[in-house]
Amino acid sequence: MRRRPGIAGLQTAAATRDQYRLVGENVAKIRTDLMKEQLETFRTQLEEFARKHKNDIRKNPTFRSQFHEMCAKVGVDPLASNKGFWAELLGIGDFYYELGVQIVNICLETRPQNGGLIDLQELRNLLCQRHKATRESVSEDDCLRAISKLKVLGSGFEVISVGKKKLVRSVPTELNKDHNAILEMAQTNGYVTVEEIERKLSWSSGRAVDVLMSLLEEGLAMIDDGHRDGKRRYWFPCVSPISATSGSDQKN
Amino acid sequence: MQRLGEFKLPAFFNYPPYFTLQPVRETREKQVQLWKELILDYCRNQKVFVVGLEEDFPLFSNPVIERSLSHEAKELFLSALVNEGRAEWMDKGHKKCLILWMRIQDWADYIVNFVKENGFEDSVMTVEDIRSGFESRGTDLAGIDRSVLMRALRLLEQKGKAAIFRGTSTDDEGVKFSV
Repeated sequence: MRRRPGIAGLQTAAATRDQYRLVGENVAKIRTDLMKEQLETFRTQLEEFARKHKNDIRKNPTFRSQFHEMCAKVGVDPLASNKGFWAELLGIGDFYYELGVQIVNICLETRPQNGGLIDLQELRNLLCQRHKATRESVSEDDCLRAISKLKVLGSGFEVISVGKKKLVRSVPTELNKDHNAILEMAQTNGYVTVEEIERKLSWSSGRAVDVLMSLLEEGLAMIDDGHRDGKRRYWFPCVSPISATSGSDQKN
Repeated sequence: MQRLGEFKLPAFFNYPPYFTLQPVRETREKQVQLWKELILDYCRNQKVFVVGLEEDFPLFSNPVIERSLSHEAKELFLSALVNEGRAEWMDKGHKKCLILWMRIQDWADYIVNFVKENGFEDSVMTVEDIRSGFESRGTDLAGIDRSVLMRALRLLEQKGKAAIFRGTSTDDEGVKFSV
Protein backbone atom coordinates (compact mmCIF):
# COMPACT_ATOMS: atom_id res chain seq x y z
CA MET A 1 0.00 0.00 0.00
CA ARG A 2 1.36 3.35 -0.99
CA ARG A 3 1.95 5.71 1.94
CA ARG A 4 0.52 9.12 1.56
CA PRO A 5 2.87 12.01 2.41
CA GLY A 6 2.54 13.07 6.00
CA ILE A 7 3.87 15.94 8.06
CA ALA A 8 6.65 13.79 9.49
CA GLY A 9 7.84 12.88 5.96
CA LEU A 10 7.96 16.51 4.92
CA GLN A 11 9.89 17.45 8.03
CA THR A 12 12.44 14.70 7.45
CA ALA A 13 12.94 15.86 3.87
CA ALA A 14 13.48 19.47 5.01
CA ALA A 15 15.91 18.36 7.71
CA THR A 16 17.89 16.32 5.21
CA ARG A 17 18.07 19.28 2.86
CA ASP A 18 19.33 21.44 5.71
CA GLN A 19 21.94 18.86 6.59
CA TYR A 20 23.14 18.70 3.01
CA ARG A 21 23.35 22.43 2.76
CA LEU A 22 25.35 22.66 5.95
CA VAL A 23 27.79 20.03 4.87
CA GLY A 24 28.06 21.67 1.45
CA GLU A 25 28.75 25.04 3.00
CA ASN A 26 31.38 23.51 5.19
CA VAL A 27 33.09 21.86 2.29
CA ALA A 28 33.00 25.07 0.29
CA LYS A 29 34.38 27.01 3.24
CA ILE A 30 37.17 24.55 3.76
CA ARG A 31 37.98 24.76 0.06
CA THR A 32 38.05 28.52 0.01
CA ASP A 33 40.18 28.62 3.12
CA LEU A 34 42.56 26.17 1.59
CA MET A 35 42.62 28.16 -1.60
CA LYS A 36 43.19 31.36 0.30
CA GLU A 37 45.96 29.74 2.22
CA GLN A 38 47.56 28.42 -0.94
CA LEU A 39 47.24 31.77 -2.63
CA GLU A 40 48.76 33.44 0.40
CA THR A 41 51.67 31.02 0.38
CA PHE A 42 52.09 31.46 -3.33
CA ARG A 43 52.04 35.19 -3.00
CA THR A 44 54.53 35.31 -0.17
CA GLN A 45 56.76 32.86 -1.95
CA LEU A 46 56.63 34.85 -5.14
CA GLU A 47 57.13 38.05 -3.21
CA GLU A 48 60.05 36.56 -1.39
CA PHE A 49 61.48 35.31 -4.64
CA ALA A 50 61.05 38.63 -6.31
CA ARG A 51 62.50 40.49 -3.37
CA LYS A 52 65.45 38.16 -3.18
CA HIS A 53 66.17 38.39 -6.88
CA LYS A 54 65.13 41.97 -7.43
CA ASN A 55 68.59 42.98 -8.52
CA ASP A 56 68.94 40.01 -10.80
CA ILE A 57 65.61 40.78 -12.41
CA ARG A 58 66.61 44.38 -12.98
CA LYS A 59 70.15 43.80 -14.09
CA ASN A 60 70.23 40.44 -15.80
CA PRO A 61 68.24 40.19 -19.03
CA THR A 62 68.35 36.38 -19.19
CA PHE A 63 67.02 36.09 -15.68
CA ARG A 64 64.38 38.69 -16.49
CA SER A 65 63.11 36.73 -19.44
CA GLN A 66 63.02 33.54 -17.37
CA PHE A 67 61.09 35.33 -14.68
CA HIS A 68 58.58 36.46 -17.29
CA GLU A 69 58.25 32.92 -18.54
CA MET A 70 57.56 31.69 -15.03
CA CYS A 71 54.97 34.39 -14.49
CA ALA A 72 53.29 33.51 -17.75
CA LYS A 73 53.05 29.87 -16.67
CA VAL A 74 51.24 30.72 -13.45
CA GLY A 75 49.08 33.24 -15.27
CA VAL A 76 50.48 36.42 -13.79
CA ASP A 77 51.34 39.40 -15.96
CA PRO A 78 53.69 41.68 -14.09
CA LEU A 79 53.26 44.29 -16.79
CA ALA A 80 49.48 44.35 -16.71
CA SER A 81 49.32 47.28 -14.36
CA ASN A 82 51.77 49.70 -12.94
CA LYS A 83 49.83 49.92 -9.70
CA GLY A 84 49.91 46.32 -8.55
CA PHE A 85 52.26 44.98 -5.95
CA TRP A 86 54.57 43.90 -8.75
CA ALA A 87 55.31 47.39 -9.78
CA GLU A 88 55.79 48.50 -6.20
CA LEU A 89 57.97 45.55 -5.45
CA LEU A 90 60.07 45.37 -8.56
CA GLY A 91 59.65 48.57 -10.44
CA ILE A 92 59.45 46.16 -13.32
CA GLY A 93 56.56 48.00 -14.93
CA ASP A 94 58.61 51.18 -14.87
CA PHE A 95 61.46 49.40 -16.54
CA TYR A 96 59.34 48.54 -19.56
CA TYR A 97 57.52 51.83 -19.67
CA GLU A 98 60.83 53.64 -19.72
CA LEU A 99 62.12 51.28 -22.35
CA GLY A 100 58.99 51.92 -24.40
CA VAL A 101 59.49 55.66 -24.21
CA GLN A 102 63.12 55.30 -25.21
CA ILE A 103 62.17 53.09 -28.13
CA VAL A 104 59.66 55.66 -29.34
CA ASN A 105 62.33 58.34 -29.05
CA ILE A 106 64.91 56.38 -31.00
CA CYS A 107 62.40 55.51 -33.70
CA LEU A 108 61.46 59.17 -34.08
CA GLU A 109 65.06 60.36 -34.04
CA THR A 110 66.22 57.92 -36.67
CA ARG A 111 63.12 58.22 -38.83
CA PRO A 112 64.63 60.82 -41.17
CA GLN A 113 67.46 58.42 -41.90
CA ASN A 114 65.63 55.11 -42.10
CA GLY A 115 62.11 56.08 -43.05
CA GLY A 116 60.63 54.64 -39.88
CA LEU A 117 61.91 51.12 -40.24
CA ILE A 118 64.75 50.10 -38.00
CA ASP A 119 66.65 46.88 -37.51
CA LEU A 120 65.85 45.42 -34.08
CA GLN A 121 69.57 44.82 -33.47
CA GLU A 122 70.38 48.43 -34.29
CA LEU A 123 67.58 49.60 -32.01
CA ARG A 124 68.95 47.43 -29.22
CA ASN A 125 72.48 48.81 -29.73
CA LEU A 126 71.18 52.35 -29.47
CA LEU A 127 69.19 51.44 -26.35
CA CYS A 128 72.22 49.84 -24.75
CA GLN A 129 74.22 53.01 -25.39
CA ARG A 130 71.61 54.95 -23.43
CA HIS A 131 71.60 52.39 -20.65
CA LYS A 132 75.35 52.38 -20.32
CA ALA A 133 75.16 54.89 -17.50
CA THR A 134 72.90 52.65 -15.40
CA ARG A 135 74.68 49.49 -16.53
CA GLU A 136 71.42 47.70 -17.05
CA SER A 137 71.64 45.67 -20.19
CA VAL A 138 68.67 45.35 -22.51
CA SER A 139 67.94 42.13 -24.33
CA GLU A 140 66.07 41.54 -27.54
CA ASP A 141 63.34 39.94 -25.43
CA ASP A 142 62.99 43.17 -23.43
CA CYS A 143 62.67 45.21 -26.64
CA LEU A 144 59.97 42.90 -27.98
CA ARG A 145 58.05 43.08 -24.69
CA ALA A 146 58.24 46.85 -24.57
CA ILE A 147 57.14 47.11 -28.20
CA SER A 148 54.21 44.77 -27.62
CA LYS A 149 53.08 47.16 -24.88
CA LEU A 150 53.35 50.06 -27.30
CA LYS A 151 50.87 48.37 -29.60
CA VAL A 152 48.16 49.22 -27.09
CA LEU A 153 48.64 52.86 -27.99
CA GLY A 154 47.61 52.05 -31.52
CA SER A 155 50.48 54.10 -32.83
CA GLY A 156 51.45 51.48 -35.35
CA PHE A 157 54.50 50.09 -33.61
CA GLU A 158 55.12 46.63 -34.88
CA VAL A 159 57.85 44.07 -35.32
CA ILE A 160 58.03 42.49 -38.74
CA SER A 161 60.28 39.73 -39.97
CA VAL A 162 62.07 40.25 -43.24
CA GLY A 163 64.40 37.47 -44.20
CA LYS A 164 66.69 36.80 -41.27
CA LYS A 165 66.14 40.16 -39.68
CA LYS A 166 63.50 41.56 -37.39
CA LEU A 167 62.56 45.12 -38.21
CA VAL A 168 60.66 47.54 -36.01
CA ARG A 169 58.16 49.63 -37.88
CA SER A 170 57.12 52.97 -36.44
CA VAL A 171 55.22 54.32 -39.43
CA PRO A 172 51.87 53.01 -40.59
CA THR A 173 53.24 52.04 -44.00
CA GLU A 174 52.04 48.70 -45.20
CA LEU A 175 54.83 46.74 -46.79
CA ASN A 176 53.64 44.38 -49.48
CA LYS A 177 55.28 41.21 -50.71
CA ASP A 178 57.34 43.00 -53.33
CA HIS A 179 58.71 45.46 -50.79
CA ASN A 180 59.61 42.61 -48.47
CA ALA A 181 61.36 40.70 -51.23
CA ILE A 182 63.60 43.67 -51.96
CA LEU A 183 64.32 44.41 -48.31
CA GLU A 184 65.26 40.80 -47.86
CA MET A 185 67.57 40.91 -50.84
CA ALA A 186 69.21 44.09 -49.60
CA GLN A 187 70.32 42.35 -46.42
CA THR A 188 73.24 40.75 -48.22
CA ASN A 189 75.06 43.90 -49.32
CA GLY A 190 73.00 46.72 -47.87
CA TYR A 191 71.93 47.71 -51.37
CA VAL A 192 70.32 46.33 -54.51
CA THR A 193 70.45 47.25 -58.20
CA VAL A 194 67.64 46.96 -60.73
CA GLU A 195 69.72 44.40 -62.61
CA GLU A 196 70.15 42.26 -59.52
CA ILE A 197 66.41 42.29 -58.86
CA GLU A 198 65.64 41.31 -62.44
CA ARG A 199 68.12 38.48 -62.25
CA LYS A 200 67.33 37.06 -58.82
CA LEU A 201 63.58 37.58 -58.65
CA SER A 202 62.91 37.33 -62.41
CA TRP A 203 60.87 40.51 -62.36
CA SER A 204 60.47 42.85 -65.29
CA SER A 205 62.53 46.01 -64.93
CA GLY A 206 59.31 48.01 -64.81
CA ARG A 207 58.12 46.13 -61.75
CA ALA A 208 61.51 46.49 -60.06
CA VAL A 209 61.66 50.23 -60.74
CA ASP A 210 58.09 50.73 -59.51
CA VAL A 211 58.75 49.04 -56.20
CA LEU A 212 62.06 50.87 -55.76
CA MET A 213 60.36 54.18 -56.49
CA SER A 214 57.74 53.56 -53.84
CA LEU A 215 60.44 52.59 -51.32
CA LEU A 216 62.27 55.81 -52.16
CA GLU A 217 59.09 57.80 -51.67
CA GLU A 218 58.58 56.22 -48.26
CA GLY A 219 62.06 57.33 -47.27
CA LEU A 220 63.16 53.73 -46.81
CA ALA A 221 65.70 53.79 -49.63
CA MET A 222 68.46 56.10 -50.84
CA ILE A 223 70.06 56.19 -54.27
CA ASP A 224 73.79 55.98 -54.89
CA ASP A 225 75.14 56.87 -58.33
CA GLY A 226 78.76 57.03 -57.26
CA HIS A 227 80.01 53.53 -57.92
CA ARG A 228 82.51 53.20 -60.72
CA ASP A 229 80.44 50.61 -62.60
CA GLY A 230 77.94 53.41 -63.16
CA LYS A 231 74.98 51.35 -62.01
CA ARG A 232 72.59 52.99 -59.62
CA ARG A 233 72.50 51.31 -56.23
CA TYR A 234 69.56 51.52 -53.87
CA TRP A 235 70.62 51.49 -50.21
CA PHE A 236 68.36 50.64 -47.30
CA PRO A 237 69.41 52.20 -43.99
CA CYS A 238 66.93 49.95 -42.16
CA VAL A 239 68.78 46.78 -43.09
CA SER A 240 72.31 48.15 -43.23
CA PRO A 241 72.59 50.66 -40.42
CA ILE A 242 74.67 53.68 -41.37
CA SER A 243 76.85 53.28 -38.31
CA ALA A 244 77.79 49.74 -39.27
CA THR A 245 78.88 50.27 -42.85
CA SER A 246 82.40 51.00 -43.92
CA GLY A 247 84.15 50.41 -47.15
CA SER A 248 82.34 49.83 -50.38
CA ASP A 249 83.40 46.65 -52.01
CA GLN A 250 84.76 44.39 -49.35
CA LYS A 251 81.51 42.44 -49.27
CA ASN A 252 81.31 41.83 -53.01
CA MET B 1 85.41 55.70 -36.75
CA GLN B 2 87.26 57.39 -39.59
CA ARG B 3 89.26 60.50 -38.85
CA LEU B 4 90.69 63.42 -40.75
CA GLY B 5 93.63 64.46 -38.63
CA GLU B 6 92.10 65.46 -35.31
CA PHE B 7 88.62 65.57 -36.73
CA LYS B 8 86.19 62.74 -36.07
CA LEU B 9 84.01 62.08 -39.09
CA PRO B 10 80.32 61.29 -38.63
CA ALA B 11 78.97 57.86 -39.54
CA PHE B 12 77.05 59.07 -42.58
CA PHE B 13 80.36 60.01 -44.25
CA ASN B 14 80.92 56.30 -44.81
CA TYR B 15 77.47 55.61 -46.22
CA PRO B 16 77.69 55.83 -50.03
CA PRO B 17 74.23 57.28 -50.84
CA TYR B 18 75.00 60.46 -48.88
CA PHE B 19 77.37 61.35 -51.74
CA THR B 20 74.53 61.28 -54.28
CA LEU B 21 71.86 64.00 -54.20
CA GLN B 22 68.65 62.31 -53.07
CA PRO B 23 65.59 62.72 -55.29
CA VAL B 24 62.96 62.54 -52.53
CA ARG B 25 62.43 65.86 -50.77
CA GLU B 26 62.42 64.73 -47.12
CA THR B 27 65.42 62.50 -47.59
CA ARG B 28 67.29 65.28 -49.34
CA GLU B 29 66.47 67.78 -46.59
CA LYS B 30 67.98 65.44 -44.04
CA GLN B 31 70.99 64.91 -46.29
CA VAL B 32 71.58 68.64 -46.74
CA GLN B 33 71.19 69.19 -42.99
CA LEU B 34 73.85 66.59 -42.17
CA TRP B 35 76.28 68.01 -44.72
CA LYS B 36 75.77 71.56 -43.50
CA GLU B 37 76.59 70.53 -39.95
CA LEU B 38 79.59 68.53 -41.10
CA ILE B 39 81.05 71.40 -43.16
CA LEU B 40 80.62 73.90 -40.32
CA ASP B 41 82.05 71.52 -37.70
CA TYR B 42 85.02 70.66 -39.86
CA CYS B 43 85.84 74.27 -40.72
CA ARG B 44 85.51 75.29 -37.06
CA ASN B 45 87.70 72.42 -35.97
CA GLN B 46 90.36 72.93 -38.64
CA LYS B 47 90.05 76.74 -38.80
CA VAL B 48 89.21 76.68 -42.48
CA PHE B 49 87.72 79.89 -43.87
CA VAL B 50 87.67 79.42 -47.60
CA VAL B 51 86.38 76.36 -49.42
CA GLY B 52 87.12 76.11 -53.12
CA LEU B 53 84.72 74.02 -55.15
CA GLU B 54 87.31 73.18 -57.72
CA GLU B 55 90.09 72.43 -55.30
CA ASP B 56 90.66 69.36 -53.19
CA PHE B 57 88.71 69.63 -50.00
CA PRO B 58 88.96 66.62 -47.67
CA LEU B 59 85.21 66.48 -47.00
CA PHE B 60 84.18 66.37 -50.63
CA SER B 61 85.46 62.89 -51.27
CA ASN B 62 85.86 59.74 -49.25
CA PRO B 63 88.54 57.45 -50.69
CA VAL B 64 87.58 54.66 -48.27
CA ILE B 65 84.21 54.14 -49.96
CA GLU B 66 85.34 55.61 -53.30
CA ARG B 67 82.68 58.26 -53.42
CA SER B 68 82.89 61.98 -54.06
CA LEU B 69 80.41 64.80 -54.31
CA SER B 70 79.36 66.14 -57.68
CA HIS B 71 79.83 69.84 -58.36
CA GLU B 72 76.07 70.25 -58.14
CA ALA B 73 75.99 68.65 -54.69
CA LYS B 74 78.86 70.79 -53.35
CA GLU B 75 77.16 73.93 -54.61
CA LEU B 76 73.82 72.89 -53.12
CA PHE B 77 75.24 72.19 -49.65
CA LEU B 78 77.24 75.43 -49.58
CA SER B 79 74.27 77.41 -50.92
CA ALA B 80 72.22 76.03 -48.04
CA LEU B 81 74.82 77.49 -45.66
CA VAL B 82 74.79 80.78 -47.58
CA ASN B 83 71.00 80.95 -47.20
CA GLU B 84 71.39 80.65 -43.45
CA GLY B 85 74.03 83.34 -43.27
CA ARG B 86 76.69 80.85 -42.31
CA ALA B 87 78.63 81.24 -45.56
CA GLU B 88 79.10 83.66 -48.45
CA TRP B 89 79.99 83.16 -52.08
CA MET B 90 83.22 85.01 -52.84
CA ASP B 91 82.63 85.21 -56.61
CA LYS B 92 79.76 85.22 -59.03
CA GLY B 93 80.75 81.87 -60.47
CA HIS B 94 80.34 80.22 -57.06
CA LYS B 95 83.83 78.79 -57.16
CA LYS B 96 84.92 79.93 -53.73
CA CYS B 97 82.95 80.07 -50.55
CA LEU B 98 83.74 81.88 -47.31
CA ILE B 99 82.61 79.81 -44.35
CA LEU B 100 81.46 81.79 -41.34
CA TRP B 101 81.65 79.13 -38.66
CA MET B 102 81.40 82.12 -36.35
CA ARG B 103 79.14 84.90 -37.52
CA ILE B 104 80.73 88.37 -37.93
CA GLN B 105 78.82 89.52 -34.84
CA ASP B 106 80.22 86.58 -32.85
CA TRP B 107 83.72 87.39 -34.07
CA ALA B 108 83.28 90.98 -32.91
CA ASP B 109 82.23 89.76 -29.45
CA TYR B 110 85.14 87.35 -29.43
CA ILE B 111 87.58 90.18 -30.20
CA VAL B 112 86.13 92.37 -27.44
CA ASN B 113 86.69 89.51 -24.98
CA PHE B 114 90.19 88.97 -26.28
CA VAL B 115 90.99 92.66 -25.84
CA LYS B 116 89.63 92.72 -22.30
CA GLU B 117 91.41 89.56 -21.24
CA ASN B 118 94.76 90.82 -22.46
CA GLY B 119 94.37 94.38 -21.29
CA PHE B 120 94.51 95.92 -24.75
CA GLU B 121 91.86 98.52 -23.98
CA ASP B 122 93.02 101.90 -25.25
CA SER B 123 96.08 100.47 -26.91
CA VAL B 124 96.93 100.27 -30.57
CA MET B 125 97.48 96.94 -32.32
CA THR B 126 98.23 96.13 -35.91
CA VAL B 127 95.83 93.85 -37.70
CA GLU B 128 98.69 91.41 -38.19
CA ASP B 129 99.26 91.35 -34.43
CA ILE B 130 95.72 90.16 -33.92
CA ARG B 131 96.11 87.44 -36.52
CA SER B 132 99.51 86.14 -35.53
CA GLY B 133 100.69 87.89 -32.39
CA PHE B 134 101.81 86.12 -29.23
CA GLU B 135 98.54 86.71 -27.39
CA SER B 136 96.48 85.27 -30.23
CA ARG B 137 98.19 81.92 -30.09
CA GLY B 138 95.80 79.18 -29.09
CA THR B 139 92.76 81.40 -29.62
CA ASP B 140 90.39 81.29 -32.58
CA LEU B 141 91.95 84.54 -33.78
CA ALA B 142 95.21 82.83 -34.73
CA GLY B 143 95.27 82.70 -38.50
CA ILE B 144 91.81 84.23 -38.90
CA ASP B 145 90.87 85.11 -42.46
CA ARG B 146 91.86 88.72 -43.03
CA SER B 147 88.59 89.78 -44.61
CA VAL B 148 86.56 88.22 -41.81
CA LEU B 149 88.70 90.00 -39.22
CA MET B 150 88.39 93.35 -41.01
CA ARG B 151 84.61 93.03 -41.16
CA ALA B 152 84.43 92.24 -37.46
CA LEU B 153 86.67 95.24 -36.72
CA ARG B 154 84.54 97.50 -38.91
CA LEU B 155 81.48 96.31 -37.03
CA LEU B 156 83.20 97.28 -33.78
CA GLU B 157 84.14 100.63 -35.33
CA GLN B 158 80.49 101.29 -36.16
CA LYS B 159 79.64 100.65 -32.54
CA GLY B 160 82.37 103.03 -31.42
CA LYS B 161 84.39 100.31 -29.78
CA ALA B 162 87.35 100.50 -32.14
CA ALA B 163 89.05 102.91 -34.52
CA ILE B 164 90.82 101.58 -37.57
CA PHE B 165 93.89 103.42 -38.88
CA ARG B 166 94.64 102.87 -42.50
CA GLY B 167 98.35 102.62 -43.11
CA THR B 168 100.31 102.96 -46.29
CA SER B 169 99.90 99.27 -47.04
CA THR B 170 97.62 96.57 -45.72
CA ASP B 171 100.50 95.37 -43.56
CA ASP B 172 100.44 98.31 -41.24
CA GLU B 173 96.75 98.78 -40.76
CA GLY B 174 96.17 99.36 -37.09
CA VAL B 175 93.31 99.41 -34.68
CA LYS B 176 92.70 101.17 -31.39
CA PHE B 177 90.20 99.60 -29.06
CA SER B 178 88.09 101.53 -26.64
CA VAL B 179 85.82 98.94 -25.15
